[in-house]
Amino acid sequence: MVERFPYGKAPFWLLTLALISSLLLVATRQRAAVDRPDISLATFAVQHYAAYKRVLPEFERLHHVKVGLQLVDARALQTRLQNAMLAHAAVPDVVEIGDGSIGYFTRGPLKDIGFLDLTDRIQEGGYRDRIVASRFSKWESRGRLFAVPHDVHPVMLVYRADLLEAAGLRAEDLDTWDAFAAAGRRVLKDLDGDGVTDRYMIDLPSGGGFGLTVLLLQRGVGLFSKTGEVTFNEPRTVDTIVWYLHQVRGAARIATECGWGQPLAKAMNDGVALFYIAPDWRTNLFQTDVPGLAGKLKIMPLPAWEKGGRRTSTWGGTGLAITKQSPHPELAWELAKFLYFTPSELSKRFASTGVLPPFRDAWQLPEFQAPSAFYSGQRLGAEFARLAPDTPPVWDSPYSATAESKLGEAYLRAAEHFDSHGDDGLREVIQRELGVAEAYVRRIIERNGLGGPRE
Amino acid sequence: MRLGPIHWLLLGFFGVFAALYARSPKNPRLALRFLRFGVLVGASTAVLAPFVWLVAAAFKDKAYLNEFVFFPPPSAWSSKTVNLDNFRTLFAGDATIQGTVYFWQYVLNSVFLATTTTLVQLVFCSAAGYALAKFEFRGKRALMTFMLVSMMIPGVLLFAPVYELMVTLHLVDTFTGLILPGIVTAYGAFLFRQACLAVPNEMLDAGRIDGCSELRIYFTLVMPLVRPMSAAFCLVTFLGAWNSFFGPSVFLHSQGQLTLPVILNRYIGVYTNQYGVFLAGTLLAIIPPAVLFFALEKEFISGLTSGSVKG
Amino acid sequence: MSARVSTPKQYYRGLAPWLLLAPYIAVTCVFTLYPLANAAVLAFYQTNGPASRAFVGIDNFRFLLSDPVFYRALGNTTVFALCSVFIQLPLSLGLSLLLNSGNDRWKSFFRLVLFSPNLVGQIFVGILFGVLFTPRYGLINRFLQALTGWGLEQQWLGDPALVMPAIVLTALWVYVGFNMIYFLAALQSVDKSLEEAARIDGANRFQVFWNVTLPAMRHVVLFVVITSVIGSFQLFELPLALLPTSNGHGPDNAGLTVVGYLYDVGFNAGDLGLGSAVGWVVALIITVVSVLQLRLAGGGEDE
Repeated sequence: MVERFPYGKAPFWLLTLALISSLLLVATRQRAAVDRPDISLATFAVQHYAAYKRVLPEFERLHHVKVGLQLVDARALQTRLQNAMLAHAAVPDVVEIGDGSIGYFTRGPLKDIGFLDLTDRIQEGGYRDRIVASRFSKWESRGRLFAVPHDVHPVMLVYRADLLEAAGLRAEDLDTWDAFAAAGRRVLKDLDGDGVTDRYMIDLPSGGGFGLTVLLLQRGVGLFSKTGEVTFNEPRTVDTIVWYLHQVRGAARIATECGWGQPLAKAMNDGVALFYIAPDWRTNLFQTDVPGLAGKLKIMPLPAWEKGGRRTSTWGGTGLAITKQSPHPELAWELAKFLYFTPSELSKRFASTGVLPPFRDAWQLPEFQAPSAFYSGQRLGAEFARLAPDTPPVWDSPYSATAESKLGEAYLRAAEHFDSHGDDGLREVIQRELGVAEAYVRRIIERNGLGGPRE
Repeated sequence: MRLGPIHWLLLGFFGVFAALYARSPKNPRLALRFLRFGVLVGASTAVLAPFVWLVAAAFKDKAYLNEFVFFPPPSAWSSKTVNLDNFRTLFAGDATIQGTVYFWQYVLNSVFLATTTTLVQLVFCSAAGYALAKFEFRGKRALMTFMLVSMMIPGVLLFAPVYELMVTLHLVDTFTGLILPGIVTAYGAFLFRQACLAVPNEMLDAGRIDGCSELRIYFTLVMPLVRPMSAAFCLVTFLGAWNSFFGPSVFLHSQGQLTLPVILNRYIGVYTNQYGVFLAGTLLAIIPPAVLFFALEKEFISGLTSGSVKG
Repeated sequence: MSARVSTPKQYYRGLAPWLLLAPYIAVTCVFTLYPLANAAVLAFYQTNGPASRAFVGIDNFRFLLSDPVFYRALGNTTVFALCSVFIQLPLSLGLSLLLNSGNDRWKSFFRLVLFSPNLVGQIFVGILFGVLFTPRYGLINRFLQALTGWGLEQQWLGDPALVMPAIVLTALWVYVGFNMIYFLAALQSVDKSLEEAARIDGANRFQVFWNVTLPAMRHVVLFVVITSVIGSFQLFELPLALLPTSNGHGPDNAGLTVVGYLYDVGFNAGDLGLGSAVGWVVALIITVVSVLQLRLAGGGEDE
């Protein structure tokens, strides 16, 4: 029969496949009887998804509703959600949005923001004082709050205690970054004699990346101020970049880039770096990715820039927003409160995700005080809670992506100069590049004629 | 620098070549054939290496992904290092608002989309190509210039207005919405024009004399003659539609409708790195196009060549 | 030349061609012309997605043409296009020559193998190679280290100077087999008697190739070059998949292509107006380049 089909073998088989698949599709479509949920919640993080799946039945029972939980790809969530909101297409009622994205959603005039203004609800519920103050900054635009903060994400260092001890160093001595760098040079080793160093002090990206951002925030330097001004062009940035370049580049470097996922796991197992920058969410990831290192890892606060200075930073964050299009805003707000402000739920979630909530009431609960066998008996909850009030505020802006990109460019130009000329004229180059970066971002901001955030 | 197996291999290769050349320097046919064979083998190895790595990575356990370059040596082969965990995670199913969605649903979506798009394009592009090849009509030159120019417009430019249009037409998150904008492409029309130019006019005239309508001539006389081009076109279009990522990721929302590239991309995120699962899925996603290609290789090659060789 | 039998200059009177072209025209009007017109208007506005818009005149173009990031994208894309034409195509040609001059048993096998990367989608290829380029553990670095004793820690995707080579390498893997097939077909259709004649006249192998074979393949080569260049200018998914953490930009925008820039501006930043302006400029550039190529190749060659 195939030979008699006049148009060729390919179209024949394609036609057959098309017919079969369309029949199957129709059949499965019928089967998926859509049991429409009353309220839908979308998240992008697998850990959150698993945690919510466990606690949602309780909420459903309490309020006699059905909650539809959905796991969506992070990038898609951002663009799809924004497009859908702007085009008034169907969107979930409650959405977990990721780090830095509030700027994305607030780039136009206030009326275009697809999320409910939650400032008053937070105030009236008395939550304003019970949440770590610095976290509101992440989800505010023009003074109004558009998402409830999920976390604090204080940053510490996770390290291979066994290797540190073997190198004859003590964590207590590493209380400033200068002391850390000096100690670092004693740790470098080529283990298999192939000319490639196999042991470094710390895992830092050679291109700046999260390493630079976290360290800058530790010093209180962010990309934008509360009023939307560009703030990264200042002397502390220059100092930090100079210090950073010395650690990640050049023959005397003490840092290497270990990457993410499986390469990172292998690097940790091999002890390629001793120290890893770890906010609370990362400490949990390590437990799943490198189970073989149980009992060999410990945490310590970040070394300070000056003696007695801030010993933590912040990295990442998730917020819960309610879409304006939701037909059940009050129910959505109940869901938000249930997920984010119920101490018992928060403590159970801490036990599984390791993420410290910004809601201080919860920190007293026993789960936060529990010692972790994986981290040699240290009490992670208590440690992170101790540093939490100190975390620096972060203000996001629609131009954050541009600013970050430009800062990255400035860093890379500085790095190129450092690679070829060392310290000679380095500060001037950095200052010049930062100026160029700032001017560029300023120009983009000034262009905005839509009533978006301006200086 | 340590001398490893690669160096010995290269040395051996050049050694054999030198030996062959030395045997008959005036007529180095054997040596040259050996060289040619070696270069082709080298190129093939370079091309196949990522595939082998892919297959190995799909079956390696998550923790051992970077431990071994390809497959673990037989001594380290165990269910701890080589297993089907990645596939198990892939087939586990996702909970969505519409209920649990399993992997085969995504495969089905991909198959449907790809085959339908290809068939629709086949019909309409060949029709357009035939019209451009065998008819002279007013405005043809202008139309062809327009088609040529339209090929140079980056598709991304039109995405946003088309998305808005889809929202107005309520076609977002439907397969119709995905297929409709692409049912005819200028590229396809030109390909078929090339193929149809070779159809002898006498046959068409004979058909007209017999009283056939133009459409019947097209379906019964022309199409069977451009079979090679149809096969080539089908493969290229199927490949494009099967691997299409951008369109489905923007236009499809509900989980149960997503296609393979979109759903597999989900396993690579900033905080979650399930490369093994992604690679296992990629392996499976390569199978249908591979089957199609291997089965239709001859038709495909002859079709591609018949179209492009003609001036 | 095409087999255009004596075409009388009278026009076909019936509706047939228009009926056959109707689907194309309909779809084009709705999904190309209308959005194009939209984009033409939008280019003079600033928008926040489909929601708000503000008229800005030619400010979009003024910004675009003075944006160093755009020029970086343009530069990257041009470099990639040049690499495509001057590295990838000769490789394809070389491989096709090698394949052509052999016996058939292996020919079919090699042809299959060398074409197979084409079966994998760009997004898969990008992520796959992103893993292969991992420093210290990736396949490519390991191979380099084994071969030359250098390169184990080399950051391909983190070093601005190496990002484009990495992209070119990846694209090479995917497309070298594809173009090879076109060249193979062209080689097989070259008139053998011409080659014989040249060889009898005393030309060596290289001269035969350069003076007889290559010119006979002129049409195919031109076709492949033009489609390669147009394709190169549309490069987008590959860098996006190779450099996911920076949304396809790469360090210092080393992986940014013009379409990537458009996507960034239009979708990520949401300014569809600026995106439209970029689209127009890019389309213009591609048109100019293509026309130039056609002229250079000896005038007025129809598709």
